Amino acid sequence: MIYPQKNKLITWFFHNYILRIVKADFHAVKFNAVEVERGKSVLLLANHFSWWDGFLMYYINHKVFKKRFHVMVIEETVKEVSFFKYMGAFSVSKSSREMLASLDYAAQLLNDPENLVLIFPQGKLYSNFVDEVDFQKGLSKIMQQAAGKFLTIMAATFIENLQYRKPTANVYLKVEGDLSDVQAAYQQHYDNAKQQQTKIVI
Amino acid sequence: MIPARRVKLFSNWFAMYMRYRMRKAFNRLVVANKVVIKPGHSILLLCNHFGWWDGFLANYLAYWHLFRKSYVMMQEDHLKKRMLLNLFGGFSINRSSREMVKSLQYAAGLLNNPENLVVVFPQGELISNHTNEIKVEKGIERLIKNIKGPCQIVYNCALIDYFESLKPSVFFHLFDCGIAGEVPFDELVEKINTCHQQALKAQIDVEH
Repeated sequence: MIYPQKNKLITWFFHNYILRIVKADFHAVKFNAVEVERGKSVLLLANHFSWWDGFLMYYINHKVFKKRFHVMVIEETVKEVSFFKYMGAFSVSKSSREMLASLDYAAQLLNDPENLVLIFPQGKLYSNFVDEVDFQKGLSKIMQQAAGKFLTIMAATFIENLQYRKPTANVYLKVEGDLSDVQAAYQQHYDNAKQQQTKIVI
Repeated sequence: MIPARRVKLFSNWFAMYMRYRMRKAFNRLVVANKVVIKPGHSILLLCNHFGWWDGFLANYLAYWHLFRKSYVMMQEDHLKKRMLLNLFGGFSINRSSREMVKSLQYAAGLLNNPENLVVVFPQGELISNHTNEIKVEKGIERLIKNIKGPCQIVYNCALIDYFESLKPSVFFHLFDCGIAGEVPFDELVEKINTCHQQALKAQIDVEH
C-alpha cells in the first residue's frame, strides 16, 4: 500500500497547478454552500466519471471545507501519476488483505478532525449519464470504525456546456445525517441533483 | 428572414477549420450509433440543443458522416451577431414574428434538393444535456409538410462525457426516423423521445 507523502515544494507546485487548470478549463465550478461542524473530519463521497472529479473536489475542499485533503485511489493510478501521493492520495487495491489495510488507514485518518477523506465508492469510471450509482464493498467498514468522528458529505457532479464554449461543472453537495444505508441515501441525493440539473433551460 | 448565402469554398474552409478546433477542444468525436443514409434523399438532421458547440458538431457530421451540403437554422438575433456564419449555410428563424412560416418554407425548399442537409434544433432553446425528454416545437410539423422531394429524417443525440481524459469527448447517437411525409408528427415526436432514451442508455455502456 502507498501512503501519502510530504514534500512542501511539490505540494505547493501542484496545489497551484490544480487550481489553475480548474480555472482555465472550466467556465465556472458551481456548488451550493454547506455548513460544516468544526471539530469533525469529513468523509466526502462523490460520483466518478472523469479525471476531473478528484481535482474538482480538491478545489471545493480548498474553497469550502479547508481541511487536509486525502483521497483513496486505485494503486495502479498512484504509481502511474507520481504526484498524486504528494497531494494526499493513498492507494487501494482489489486484493483483500491490501484492501483491509487501506480501509483501516482511511478510518484512522477520519479520527483526526483536521482531515478530509475523499472516496469514489463506484470504484471505477462510469459515464456522467448513469442513473444508478453502484457502490463497491468496504465503505461501511470505514464508517463503522470511525463512527461518530466524522461528517458524511455527498457530492454529485454534472457537466454542462450551455451557452459557453467551456463547460460548467455543477456540484451538488449535501450533508448526510442518516448513515444506516449510505448507498440508498446517496442514490436519493443523486436523483434529486439530476432532477435539478435537467430542469436547466436557457 | 435572412436566407443562407452559402459559398461552397468558404464553407469547406470553415468546416475544416472547425474540425481542427474541435479536435483540439475534445478528446474524441465518436459516432456511437451509425445510421444508414438513403441515396438520393436529402437529410433533415434534428439535434438536441445543449451548448455552444452543437451547431459546429452538426456541421461536422454533415461533412464527414452524412456527406451532404449543410444548412443550419439559427435564431435571427444570434445570426445577426455572427453574419459570417451566413456564408457557411446559416439562415434565420424568428419565432415571434410572422416570418417564421417563411423560414420553415425556405428550409423545406432546401430539402427538395437531395444534395442538401438542414440542421434544426427542435427544442428551440438551450436545454441541459442530461435531460431525458426532447420537446419538439410545432413548427417542425409545418416544415415537414412543406417538403416535396424525398427527405430522410435523422435524429442526432450528442452527449458529452469525459472518462479517462481531461478533455471532454462527444458521443453522437444517430437514429433514422423515417422519410418525411410517411411518418405522422405525433409518431415522430414519440420516436425521437424513445431514441433519446435509447441513446442515454447506450451511453452508459459506451466504449472508452
